[in-house]
Amino acid sequence: MRTAAAPKFYETKKFKDNLKQTIIFIVLLAGSVLVLSPLWWMISTSLKSPAEIAQYPPTFVPKEFHFSNYVEAWKTAPFTRWAMNTFFIALCGMAGSVLVNSLVAYAFAKIRFKGRNALFIVVLSTMLIPGFVTMVPQYILFSKLGWVNTYLPLIVPAFLGSAFFIFLLRQFMMSIPNELIEAAVLDGANHLQIWWHIMLPLTKPALITVAIFSFNGAWNDLLGPLLYINDESLYTLQIGLQTFKGTVQTQWHYLMAMSVMVLLPVVLLFFFFQKHFIEGSNIASGTKG
Amino acid sequence: MKSYDTTIARRGAGLAEKKEKTSRRRMSRQTRENIFGYLFISPWIIGFLGLTLGPLLFSLFASFTDYNITSRMNFIGLDNFKRMFTIDDLFKTSLWNTLYYVLFSVPLTTAGAIFLSVLLNQKVRGMKFFRTLYYLPAILSGVAVYFLWMQLLSPSTGLVNTFLAWIGIEGPAWLFDPEWTKPALLLMKMWSVGGGMLLYLASLQGVSASLYEAADLDGAGVMQKFFYITLPMISPIIFFDVLTSTIGAFQIFQEAYVMTENGSGGPGNSLLFYNLHMWNNAFEVFDMGYASAMAWLLFIVVMVLTIINMKLGKKWVHYEGGDNK
Amino acid sequence: MKKGLIFIISAILLIGTLAGCSGEESVQAEKTKDGKVIVDFWSFWGSETRRPIIEKIIEDFNNSQDEVFVKHTYLPWGDIWTKNLASVAAGNPADVIINDINSVAQRAENAQSEDLSKYIDESFKNQFYPHLWETVMYGDKPYAVPFNTDTRLLFYNKDAFKEAGLDPEKPPATWAELEEYAAKLDIKDGDRYERVGFYPLWGSIGAASWMTSADGGKGFIQDGELYINTPKKQEALQWLLGWKERLGEKTVQSFEAEFGSEQSNPFIAGKVAMWVDIGTFYTQIRDYGEDMNFGVAPIPAFEKGSGNWSDGGGFVAEIPKGAKHPEEAMKFIKYLTGPEAQKYWAMKNYDNVANKEAAEAVVNELKGDDKYVYEASVKNLDQTQLFPVPVKYPDYQNRINPHIDSVLLGKTKPEKALAKAEKDVEKLKRK
Repeated sequence: MRTAAAPKFYETKKFKDNLKQTIIFIVLLAGSVLVLSPLWWMISTSLKSPAEIAQYPPTFVPKEFHFSNYVEAWKTAPFTRWAMNTFFIALCGMAGSVLVNSLVAYAFAKIRFKGRNALFIVVLSTMLIPGFVTMVPQYILFSKLGWVNTYLPLIVPAFLGSAFFIFLLRQFMMSIPNELIEAAVLDGANHLQIWWHIMLPLTKPALITVAIFSFNGAWNDLLGPLLYINDESLYTLQIGLQTFKGTVQTQWHYLMAMSVMVLLPVVLLFFFFQKHFIEGSNIASGTKG
Repeated sequence: MKSYDTTIARRGAGLAEKKEKTSRRRMSRQTRENIFGYLFISPWIIGFLGLTLGPLLFSLFASFTDYNITSRMNFIGLDNFKRMFTIDDLFKTSLWNTLYYVLFSVPLTTAGAIFLSVLLNQKVRGMKFFRTLYYLPAILSGVAVYFLWMQLLSPSTGLVNTFLAWIGIEGPAWLFDPEWTKPALLLMKMWSVGGGMLLYLASLQGVSASLYEAADLDGAGVMQKFFYITLPMISPIIFFDVLTSTIGAFQIFQEAYVMTENGSGGPGNSLLFYNLHMWNNAFEVFDMGYASAMAWLLFIVVMVLTIINMKLGKKWVHYEGGDNK
Repeated sequence: MKKGLIFIISAILLIGTLAGCSGEESVQAEKTKDGKVIVDFWSFWGSETRRPIIEKIIEDFNNSQDEVFVKHTYLPWGDIWTKNLASVAAGNPADVIINDINSVAQRAENAQSEDLSKYIDESFKNQFYPHLWETVMYGDKPYAVPFNTDTRLLFYNKDAFKEAGLDPEKPPATWAELEEYAAKLDIKDGDRYERVGFYPLWGSIGAASWMTSADGGKGFIQDGELYINTPKKQEALQWLLGWKERLGEKTVQSFEAEFGSEQSNPFIAGKVAMWVDIGTFYTQIRDYGEDMNFGVAPIPAFEKGSGNWSDGGGFVAEIPKGAKHPEEAMKFIKYLTGPEAQKYWAMKNYDNVANKEAAEAVVNELKGDDKYVYEASVKNLDQTQLFPVPVKYPDYQNRINPHIDSVLLGKTKPEKALAKAEKDVEKLKRK
């Protein structure tokens, strides 16, 4: 009769799991100090007075906390209006991107239409041209359409697909088993229904990624709004940030304070979307066709 | 899975009947596929034909001219290209700088993002905060960030060298030393590796837990699970990331433009990237024809690399959906 | 659920977009309600300090007459000119824009700006400093009107002078004196420098300026001829290298990194005893210097009598090509560069303005240190040169700088470097 020796405490699965979790926690914590320090620098600068910023050597923690910098910075220009403008553009961009790119990507991933591969290469190749070489002809084009000084040049392209997102979503969609599609086809579903009922739910994490990326992209875009908007009342937050940079001297405290504020919506967006992201569906266990 | 097999088998039998009936209908399956396909991609086609193709062709034509945006556009044949290779020394410098950056940044950021996302996919306390934290650098964009980093990289009082000093290393002069300017940018890029992490996190969600459970039962270790389950399952995204990072890295511009004086390309032209050189030619010298020629040359280079990548991709990318041909 | 939400949001936003955008489409109104012509004015003066000043000038102009209404739009530095270029190409540019003075001829050559000769008479140019007016000419016609300029002075710490046994009222006048004084002003603690007396490449000055000054004020390219590899310039470069070798690479870099960040200035902090900068640098001393005891002087000459040459830059008001209201635009430009507006600008901003009468008036009105520095800067304009972008070698600086860098890093000798630089620049001559 063999008696199995009672496992030592450090051999149990529970201990190993706990150990693994603790190590990971410590590693992440250490890493976050590294990652956070530039951000701390930003926040620290935003709370200093201009005189303290001009000091040498620079101080790590502000001597006095000037929270008023935030209010003052906001008041120096019509930032409320600009924030609303930027929200509008970014939300439109986000909606359009998710909607249109998922349609186009689905076609490239699952619909076997003639010329698909060749067209996909064309899609990819549009990513290869540096933007500013086509910037001037595009500006002239939009100008002739009468779209200058409107938000149209900034929003309409989002509804016309972007190679980056098409490629991204296509990769995700190609990971979804063809059997699911075929089963649905046999049930009489057309592609639109498959897209809506099968693809979208199954690629939720990817869609959220596209939503976050596209919102960020529009939110942080400087050149687009700058080029196409002439009316100051239509400006966006990114243009507003530039007002703190003088030709001789930059108002660092305001610039950093405003940068922190401009950062917030995007951070919040990410933080709250995480829930849908991580609990997003698991391909094999979810659907029943 | 079993239920599917029987369903398909049964349906398959019925399908044979349906097929006969279908071929008698006017629209074949292929035609229907074609129609749906083009319908679905029609927004992109409209965008491409309407907004992209025109300017693209225009810039292609411009590369054979002396176009200066505002007053002239005379055909000069291959002069711009000749200039690139024989007269313009900075062309080679800029190409080299960009290649250096691509060669280092793509592997580093891809590996970093994968590593980070695996780490952040664990069930550890406070994960939500950690994820947001690591993602933060990726959404901080714009000029403020570059200025931030210029301070952080300052040789004697910047945080970077301060940290290095704590572990006994004397940090270099970073943005002031031609040898260290590009590594400085690589460091900056690594800081924002959280952006790619997002992609991989999304992809990791789709890897079925049952695969890992089965591997555990077989006694697989952490490394084996990583290399034989995780990596292959997320390989479509790795492929995407490598490809798009490469394309993006070839186009590095903003950092060098802001962080070097007047966009000049830094000490000893060490930060004169290809795109920066192009920009200077377009908007400082107003030789847009030459800049367009540079852009299209880059296009060809990256296109070739992309095609190579795609052919290689067939070997190691695994599409769970079944389209592995 | 979520999909439904996305769908609904996108539908609403799409409709909202089309509705909102057609409403927002404020097609540039041509006239105000009372029939005034609207002139679109673009500038990069958006900061808290500059903006109110230009707005007041505009307001005064708008109130002073009934035909023109100036509408000011702020655009970020740098990007403003990209947008200008695109809009000129598309045919819908602003009516007036503030642009850089040293590239006026270059823009004129590329047909980006309007010829202003038909809007002014012979005497108009007499208002401005001659060297500024020269720079806005292209092919005998003016393509812009000078607005403001700058000049560089040597700022020095009088207390430091006293400490080092130097006469605070006798700043260095030649390069030799500069070196001598700087050595006396250094304070070392073992190997580390507590204070550096002077370093020629710090402040608002570069190697090119010193090399030009040594060469009797002759720049790298003059009248289309190359003067890069000249004996005097080689000597100057060697001289600069000498400073670097004396202080040591490490010291230079560690000091340099601090003020690269624009957030603190070593001269004001007492870490550097002499410093070259533009006149407006004085405002930083005034605001952060805590009653620093300082003086200003022209930049030391290469040798006695060779001239206290300084570089200058500045901005102009110009009319982009294809502007819809050039005549009205010119009315505003005349006001902007006239004595009243210029004096106001100078008083508030402490800039060197282009209008002579305004500059003199300011000198008379200022008091104390304000007056001392401003007067010195105005006087310095006599020895200030502008270096417009040479039309045949527009990107020459890019080719020369790396070679200068290389010399300063100790990698090449000045003669070789400048010879190579001259060859490189020759190569890129445009037809």
